[in-house]
Amino acid sequence: MDNNNTRKNPVLSCRSLAVGYKDKTVLSDINLSFAPGQFISLLGPNGAGKTTLLRTLSRHLNPLAGDIAVSGRPLDDISPIELARFMAVVLTEKVTPPLFTVFEFVALGRYPHTDFLGRMGPHDYETVQRALASVHAEDLGRRAFSDLSDGERQKALVARALAQEPQLLLLDEPTLHLDLKHRMEVMTILRSLCHSQGVSVVASLHDVDVAAKVSDRVALIKDGGMTAWGMPETVLSGPVVADLYDFSDARFSTRLGGIEFAGNGHKGRIFVTAGAGTGALVYRMLVKRGFAISTGVLYTNDVDYFVARSLGADCTARPPMTPVSQGALAEAEEKLDACDAVIDCGLDDGGGPMSQGNLKLLQAALKKGKPVLSLSEGGIEKIGHAGPAACWISCRDASDLVKALNKVLDRRVAANQNKQEAMSEMARNSAKEA
Amino acid sequence: MTVARSNTLGACTPTGWRRPAAAFIFFGALTAALVVLNIGIGSIAFSPADILQTLIAPESGTTMSAIIWKIRIPRAIAAVLGGAFLAVSGLLLQVYFRNPIVGPFILGISSGATVMVSFVMLTTLTVGMTVISPFMTTLAAFIGAYGVMLIIVAVAYRVKSGITLLIIGLMMGYLCHAVTSILTALAEKEKIKGFVLWELGSFSGFKWSEISILLVCGGLILLLVYLLSKPLNAFLLGETYAASMGVNIRRFRILILLCACALAGMITSMAGPVAFVGLAVPHMARLVFQTSDNRILIPGVCLMGALVASLCDFIARMLLSPVELPLSAITAFFGAPIVIGLLMKRRVEL
Repeated sequence: MDNNNTRKNPVLSCRSLAVGYKDKTVLSDINLSFAPGQFISLLGPNGAGKTTLLRTLSRHLNPLAGDIAVSGRPLDDISPIELARFMAVVLTEKVTPPLFTVFEFVALGRYPHTDFLGRMGPHDYETVQRALASVHAEDLGRRAFSDLSDGERQKALVARALAQEPQLLLLDEPTLHLDLKHRMEVMTILRSLCHSQGVSVVASLHDVDVAAKVSDRVALIKDGGMTAWGMPETVLSGPVVADLYDFSDARFSTRLGGIEFAGNGHKGRIFVTAGAGTGALVYRMLVKRGFAISTGVLYTNDVDYFVARSLGADCTARPPMTPVSQGALAEAEEKLDACDAVIDCGLDDGGGPMSQGNLKLLQAALKKGKPVLSLSEGGIEKIGHAGPAACWISCRDASDLVKALNKVLDRRVAANQNKQEAMSEMARNSAKEA
Repeated sequence: MTVARSNTLGACTPTGWRRPAAAFIFFGALTAALVVLNIGIGSIAFSPADILQTLIAPESGTTMSAIIWKIRIPRAIAAVLGGAFLAVSGLLLQVYFRNPIVGPFILGISSGATVMVSFVMLTTLTVGMTVISPFMTTLAAFIGAYGVMLIIVAVAYRVKSGITLLIIGLMMGYLCHAVTSILTALAEKEKIKGFVLWELGSFSGFKWSEISILLVCGGLILLLVYLLSKPLNAFLLGETYAASMGVNIRRFRILILLCACALAGMITSMAGPVAFVGLAVPHMARLVFQTSDNRILIPGVCLMGALVASLCDFIARMLLSPVELPLSAITAFFGAPIVIGLLMKRRVEL
């Protein structure tokens, strides 16, 4: 496997590969191929077959059909030692080697390079130190492996793989069980391996948002095959991700690069006036608490617009750099009419078209006697006492807002009940009279 | 693991060499002393000068020479080899199954050997053989040991849990015991005595021919095992990692099991089932040498095994001399508390 060869050939390529077990095909017709130094993510729901695919690529399982070539050579033609010098793995399987220091553990990775008794030369010691340094774990060297935390252990596992000096690193769920800090650290380490050391990384990942941000290529694994393969920028769209994981109440937003959780809106509908990012948090909070939202008027380049859309809000939006037209306002007002309450996120763009529009909508809401909860600095004076002052509730922050909102809605429910009771009494009375 | 590491060397050196070296010297001297004791002390007392004289210039024909050269020395060597082989067998099985509570006795390998030996020893007359040749016993023990091993391995492929494996091993032991007891019930009285004595386990009655077989075959196997210490180390991380580092798993698996069974089978066939040496000694060696590195542990386990077996044999012979106590009883008294203690403290894991 000389360098020339490596440069010409893809690091790994599969042609109509089928993987699985004797009596069960897990994935079939997989075609992929990639160049050195790339980060490849395998995405898919649990049990889709990511691990099976990885185990086949690392030759722990025999392929059921198709070919795998490593650096242009068929996988079967490569001796175990030769393969170990080219490819290393990090598995989810828990390892608990007894009485090992981290250094000794990482040094086990020198296996394919040392003599028949595993004696280490100066170069081997250096490589182990370098491997520890690549995962920022130089200081762990003398600790007992069994005393490590999950995050430290994962780093040690990656270091052990690196001690093999591989050109290809296969990782199964490298961020499983890790906290956010270690998750980010491991991903950063892996990415820098690709970019600065030219190692190719294939990892099965759970976080779509992280995968989208670090990968050069993603493979989507679902329903017994690879449903998509390519750059995350082209492959990962909202519907594709939702379909991949079968989620109906959450959405992946390509532009926001994350997942938004849509609610079922059983608690009623709220109209929100927002803009320039003032609404995003309020939208998420409302949806989380079971409200449906309507909002407007937003420009289509506003982050509020993307958040609202991925939360499933009913949006009135217009292209940017245009005045907010009467038509748009009328449309928004119609939506407002159907809502139980209005929240003003306190956008102040210095009298620009958007805050002007918001102002008009708030005035309309007050006139109709809708409760308006405002996060803005100015009180009801801001909109010139357009309606009953009792309808205007100033809130300091989000927690204030939630309390006020609950109070308002409780009152409305009570009022509704009274109304219903009165109606039914009237009905009974009229029935008696009849 | 709460063991404090006394690694005083620089960060570059993964394994300190001082502790193992000191341990080898100390326990080597202790073992040598026990071997001398085993030769020098017995139910018939000789003066040290006489013994030395007999050792330097053996005179054939005298009682003393016969006792020293035909009984005590073979027995002392058998204890050393028996302990070492059983302990290495236990170590191999513990690494193979990645389970700290397996050993040749626990997994039913010894029971398998016992069943086959009971067939030979209790039923030969009915088959028509008048003399039980030691060769037959050895062969039977081997077949029994490998038979049970095959079953355990077949099961271990499907069952990953160590506890399940252990229980299956125990059940195999019960089944073997059941067969043995039926054979005992049906057998003639004279035969039962010989078999029961064999079953108690003892390093007595080794012939020089047997010792030389043990030395040559066992020595070769031990050498092979030592050459396997690198893949054995890789195997500590489990099969998949070992394979990913270039270990030829299939070949390696067969080799480990063949070696473990051959070592345990050889000793069981000649000395009878000896409990706990294979299970407890690897743990003791890990504690003493403070490492799981098999390059140190394999010779270490040999030494500790020899030490423990010599000590147990000495106690078995001398505690109620001239009555000899069953060896397995002594090793169990030694081994069981150690294993329980280790597991309770969780000082040793595998």
